[in-house]
Amino acid sequence: MDQSLIRNFCIIAHIDHGKSTLADRLIELTGVLRHEEMSEQVLDNLELERERGITIKAKAVRMNYPAKDGKTYRLNLIDTPGHVDFSYEVSRTLAACEGAILVVDATQGIQAQTLANYYLAMENNLEVIPVINKIDLPASEPDRVLEEIDSVFGYKPEDVLLISAKTGQGVPPLLEEIIHRVPAPKGDRGRPLRALIFDSHYDDYKGVIAYLRVMDGGIVKGDALRLMGQGTELEALEVGYFTPGPIPAAELAAGDVGYIATGLKNIGDCRVGDTVTSLTDGAAAPMVSYIPPKPMVFAGIYSTQGEEYSELREAIEKLRLNDASLTYEPEYSPVLGHGFRCGFLGLLHMDIVRERLEREFQLSLIVTVPAVRFIVTVDGDRQVTVVNPSDFPPPATIVKIEEPWVKISIITPSVFIGGLMEFVIAAGGIYKRTEYLGQYRGGSELGQRVLLEYEVPLRSMLTMFYDNLKSRSRGYASLDYELIGYREARLVKLDVLINNVTVDAFSRIIPPDQAQVVGKAVVDKLKETIPRQLFKVPIQAAVGSRVIARSDISAMRKDVLAKCYGGDITRKRKLLEKQREGKKKMKSIGRVEVPKEVFLEVLKIG
Amino acid sequence: MTADIALYIHLPFCRRKCRYCSFVSYAGREADVPAYLSALIMEIAKCAGGESVGSIYLGGGTPSLLTAVQIGEILATARSCFSVSPAAEISIEANPGTVDEAFLRGIRELGVNRLSLGVQSLNDDELKLLGRIHSAAQAEEALLLARKSGFTNVNLDLIYGLPCQSLEDWQDTLEKALAPAPEHLSLYALSLEPGTPLWQDILAKRVPAIDPDLAADQYELAEDLLAEGGYRHYEISNWARPGFECRHNLVYWYNKPYLGVGVAAHSSLDGRRYANTSNLDDYLAAFFRGVLPEKALEETISPGLRLAETVILGLRLDSGVAADDISDRYHQIVLEMMELGLMESSDGFIRLTRRGRLLSNEVFWRFLPEEQGVVK
Repeated sequence: MDQSLIRNFCIIAHIDHGKSTLADRLIELTGVLRHEEMSEQVLDNLELERERGITIKAKAVRMNYPAKDGKTYRLNLIDTPGHVDFSYEVSRTLAACEGAILVVDATQGIQAQTLANYYLAMENNLEVIPVINKIDLPASEPDRVLEEIDSVFGYKPEDVLLISAKTGQGVPPLLEEIIHRVPAPKGDRGRPLRALIFDSHYDDYKGVIAYLRVMDGGIVKGDALRLMGQGTELEALEVGYFTPGPIPAAELAAGDVGYIATGLKNIGDCRVGDTVTSLTDGAAAPMVSYIPPKPMVFAGIYSTQGEEYSELREAIEKLRLNDASLTYEPEYSPVLGHGFRCGFLGLLHMDIVRERLEREFQLSLIVTVPAVRFIVTVDGDRQVTVVNPSDFPPPATIVKIEEPWVKISIITPSVFIGGLMEFVIAAGGIYKRTEYLGQYRGGSELGQRVLLEYEVPLRSMLTMFYDNLKSRSRGYASLDYELIGYREARLVKLDVLINNVTVDAFSRIIPPDQAQVVGKAVVDKLKETIPRQLFKVPIQAAVGSRVIARSDISAMRKDVLAKCYGGDITRKRKLLEKQREGKKKMKSIGRVEVPKEVFLEVLKIG
Repeated sequence: MTADIALYIHLPFCRRKCRYCSFVSYAGREADVPAYLSALIMEIAKCAGGESVGSIYLGGGTPSLLTAVQIGEILATARSCFSVSPAAEISIEANPGTVDEAFLRGIRELGVNRLSLGVQSLNDDELKLLGRIHSAAQAEEALLLARKSGFTNVNLDLIYGLPCQSLEDWQDTLEKALAPAPEHLSLYALSLEPGTPLWQDILAKRVPAIDPDLAADQYELAEDLLAEGGYRHYEISNWARPGFECRHNLVYWYNKPYLGVGVAAHSSLDGRRYANTSNLDDYLAAFFRGVLPEKALEETISPGLRLAETVILGLRLDSGVAADDISDRYHQIVLEMMELGLMESSDGFIRLTRRGRLLSNEVFWRFLPEEQGVVK
């Protein structure tokens, strides 16, 4: 097909601003699926994605659109993940497009990830079409949002489309705008192959399926190929595109978006961001430089039942088939037994992995207190990398500790500034700047919307940061963050002992002046949540050998079933069976039966 | 010749439902008593095969809501269908608010030789909280009437661990209960059953929560007082003067066979356990059609489960279980429980300790096998 009739674009938006709904509407309007075939949000495959309303993996769909100029265009819509943890995937998706529809919710206005995604689009030289969505809602304020878009991004109201992805209002004109404003691809069919991998998934029969944007050249079935970044060699076993199901095709040519089946067994050999070229006479330079994403957050994952270790291993391996950014290595905890130290892109990523392991593999898991990657210089100027607090070197040997910092952007109505600043400062934040968005017109009890920028240690964001942000802004504030590098830190390791056994899963690295408060909070929470045992259980928090908080759980005294009504032995036995099943779900630590919920509660203490 | 069995007869009628009760009993259905009796008699006749019966227990509900004549009909049926030994223990549960001398004399003459009075408390505030239909004075009066009517084997049921019940309140009830020297005492910890009015009150904080440590203190106080009074603590919840242990209930604890008739009644015969429907209407309807009522439960007890149950039930008794019977299979558990001070061993028997009795559930669940009884 003539490249001038191809438009490659994506939709970018803050979470819940209606990206997936708009994708559905476009697919329906271009007749790829009839209305009755549409299940809501067809691009979101995973049950979890749909439940959380977020898109984790990018998808691509080809649509044919007969435009008003009488020509039929091929629109390739590439769906992007909508959360900050996945910004690497977002940036690869953007690199595969020429244009982006920037969706802004008419009731909420510009949010932190609207900004972050917009800047990513700019970096990739995309043509951006701003769209205000949800104009059918009574609470929508399109005028206010138009003004914000003007003041923040510089788009005049006449350049912005007003739509309702839900009802379809304003969506047909958007299709025309895509044709007119998004540039056609400008690749060269005659040059050596260059195709960017913007997503991949593992298929049991065909191996790794790579989603591609072909820049130059073309791919036909059977081509011998090479990945320029990783050096992987492979063969295109199948070539095709999505509608949204996979359709095999003869060729993918310059300007096209589609997939190849690689037969590769390991998704790590075929990673997002790499460039595909021909094995012989390949291209000289990749499309974008390939940087494998680095995990930023680490936590131990254990099964509550030690026997399920092999099932856990199998489950993580399977999950990793479709999630190259998840890293894991076996670790042993004296308390929790065999498990894995996993690396995640961020907290949401961690949550998603945990939920998928529990839901899709029916595992009962314990996740330890999440940690960042510390770089510790010890005696003799040796540097060690620590991702597990229990590996933290003894204090006496430490020369220097460095930890990762992030720049955070918060967008919030101005009335919440005070409360938000207070807690960001308490989390160790350093103020950078404030910017008021749009013009204040008065009348709103929430005031004008403000962008706050801070630098904070990533460590501070690992527990309740996001929940605090939401609760201190009645849910209005939004957050985005990016890594800015390592800085020196003064930190200590806080240990927690249950029945005189150090629970490595509870150890955390914190500033010394917080040890007392956090230690006491953890001890109190454990006393409150661990059920009484058959013996007295001391709970302690300690820094090194110094105990900074202590509380005892007194021994249980009574657990007795009395009457046997009319010989109903079965009922008695069932109650005992239930009791036994309850114990099974607990983790035994120093002979203390600790319910799984206790771990979740302790994770929440920030 | 078939082995001895125990016969349990369930009489589900109550004048009013107590506020803690979640058992199968019906208030306001007394008009159905005649129909129920005919159903019960039919069930006894259909189930019986001339087995010899060592004990009969009329439980409820409130069996004392029936007349002596009605109880006579039931017993006559049982005697004609089974071989009831003249020495059989025949117990009846009675609510102190429903008995008079004529009734008590009547049933005594019918051969009922053990009376279990549901006293629960001898404190009027507590009785009100429990939703009992009688006062403390009525309860004490009932015991006097029982003596007058010729009952020489009387049990009193009492409940401890009540909301608002101090250690002193409990001691007061116990002392009043001991004064007329009953032969047998059953002391039950209040168990809060979901859905009951008392449970709702506590959930809504209209009534203070139960303090499990105070309940433990109350239990230990009772153990001390009753030991002084010459009672043998022969089962976790039961005390008796020597020779007055309840033979019927011992059948349950020894895991021996019993037949239960009536709505919701449980049976354990030939390695199987089953229970009748707990719905009174379904139970009555079945007999109008001339068939046995539906089973609410039917399970085959595997040998492994049977052994575990025998151990669990046996450990409830002061005699304990023979060490030889359990030391092989449960060696590890027994060691662990002994180390925690919940079990002890002497004279070749293994028993619960004083602390172990109060924590018996924590001991018992450990004995359950992984395999389950087959539930159909």
